[in-house]
Amino acid sequence: MRDFNRVIRYLAYTLEILVLFMLQETPGLLPSIFGVRPVLLFPAVVSIAMFEKEIPALAFGIVGGLFCDFGLSGTLGFHALVLGLLCFFISLVVRVYMQVNLVTALLTGVWSIGLAICAQWFFLYFFNYAQPAYAFTHHYAPKYGYTLLFVPLLYLLNRGLSQALGAQEEGQFPYSRK
Amino acid sequence: MKDFFKTSSFKVLAIAVVVLLGLIIYTASAGGSFLASLLGFVTSPMQSVSTSTTGKVTEFVDLNSLSREELQDMVDSLNQENAQLREQLVDYESLQKENEQLKTQLEITEEVPENTLRAATVIGRDPNDVFYGFSLDQGTLAGVEAGDPVITQSGLVGVVSQAYATTSKVTCILSEDINVSAVAPSRGESGVICSDITTASSGLLRMRYLASDTQVQAGDIITTSGAGGTFPKDIIIGEVQSVQKADNDVSMVAMVRPYEDLTAVEEVFVVIDFPGAGEDTGIPLEEDPAGQEDTE
Repeated sequence: MRDFNRVIRYLAYTLEILVLFMLQETPGLLPSIFGVRPVLLFPAVVSIAMFEKEIPALAFGIVGGLFCDFGLSGTLGFHALVLGLLCFFISLVVRVYMQVNLVTALLTGVWSIGLAICAQWFFLYFFNYAQPAYAFTHHYAPKYGYTLLFVPLLYLLNRGLSQALGAQEEGQFPYSRK
Repeated sequence: MKDFFKTSSFKVLAIAVVVLLGLIIYTASAGGSFLASLLGFVTSPMQSVSTSTTGKVTEFVDLNSLSREELQDMVDSLNQENAQLREQLVDYESLQKENEQLKTQLEITEEVPENTLRAATVIGRDPNDVFYGFSLDQGTLAGVEAGDPVITQSGLVGVVSQAYATTSKVTCILSEDINVSAVAPSRGESGVICSDITTASSGLLRMRYLASDTQVQAGDIITTSGAGGTFPKDIIIGEVQSVQKADNDVSMVAMVRPYEDLTAVEEVFVVIDFPGAGEDTGIPLEEDPAGQEDTE
């Protein structure tokens, strides 16, 4: 039963990533604020990592990252590497040092999505194009803020999925005791 | 901590990092990849459906938000425009007949080569793309190749940068990666169209390397010159909004506004073949010392 739940849960996460990729890519669906739109896959994989062990977290980070890479340019690997590493360490930190609740999810989202977006700016923009400071303040920073708005929503969605499909039975994450 | 490096999780992480680094190097050097084509194959049908649904809903909501009077005004202005266009069409047809007659009389024969176009729909705009690139629902199976220019009825939009089996990625002309050899036909002056993040965010392009005594002025239409063989000749790029002195030298720069909102293009044509494609005319623009015109 546990294995079956796990398979269903992983399928649900994969479907979630696919649907969120579609939503973030569809022109005109999510309104742009200050000329930017949110990257839904970042909060999605970060919140999945909070409910899964290191290796599944790494795998979903890589899958989400590959979709980001494909959407951006077709040069695959950069986002997969960044998100894979982040998700691995988030899973590790959460399991060893933290309880999972909305506040810790928000805090984790703030530092991890911040790191991912800074990595984007540094490796994909800073070395290739002019006026990196302008790009940071007018594109990357607003995108960071807009993306953070989706952390609570996707945290609740993934918490629901993991509760319904038995992640807690497998002892994969420490829920906060209320 | 010492034990962590001996765990199987750490070994899996190390292997994943090495594989992903290899993937970055491979896809950056080889261009497309099987994996990218596979992702395109999986996502493009769903993206087409979601884009089409969103477009219909947006159109419905937009029209519904207009009052009766606003709709009536819209119909009136469209009728007026239609009447003007019909008048122009009559003039055009009579001029065309006259042209044909003159050609027959003077025994002029010419074959006008045409661009081969492939209609495509924008199915994706990535929020991570700073320069408003987008994805199309046509790929190599439809004859689209990397380097093909992308246009709309209002003018040049971009260049196909990656082509997969069923989808392709387009780099917008607002990108710093693209330089286009351009000309102001009414003045006979040429320059290079380029952009950066500041101009891109306001939807403008720069036409650089104009002479210090340039005659180009606001309102002039800018088209592609065709030099370099990357873009077809005479594709409209936009209209000059202002002319100012360049920051670094004595040349002038024209700010050009495209006729289309490049951040919201929905339907495009990919020019899969055109007269002079890939031919280098061998006429470098003397104002462009780097010789980087017409390149991605």
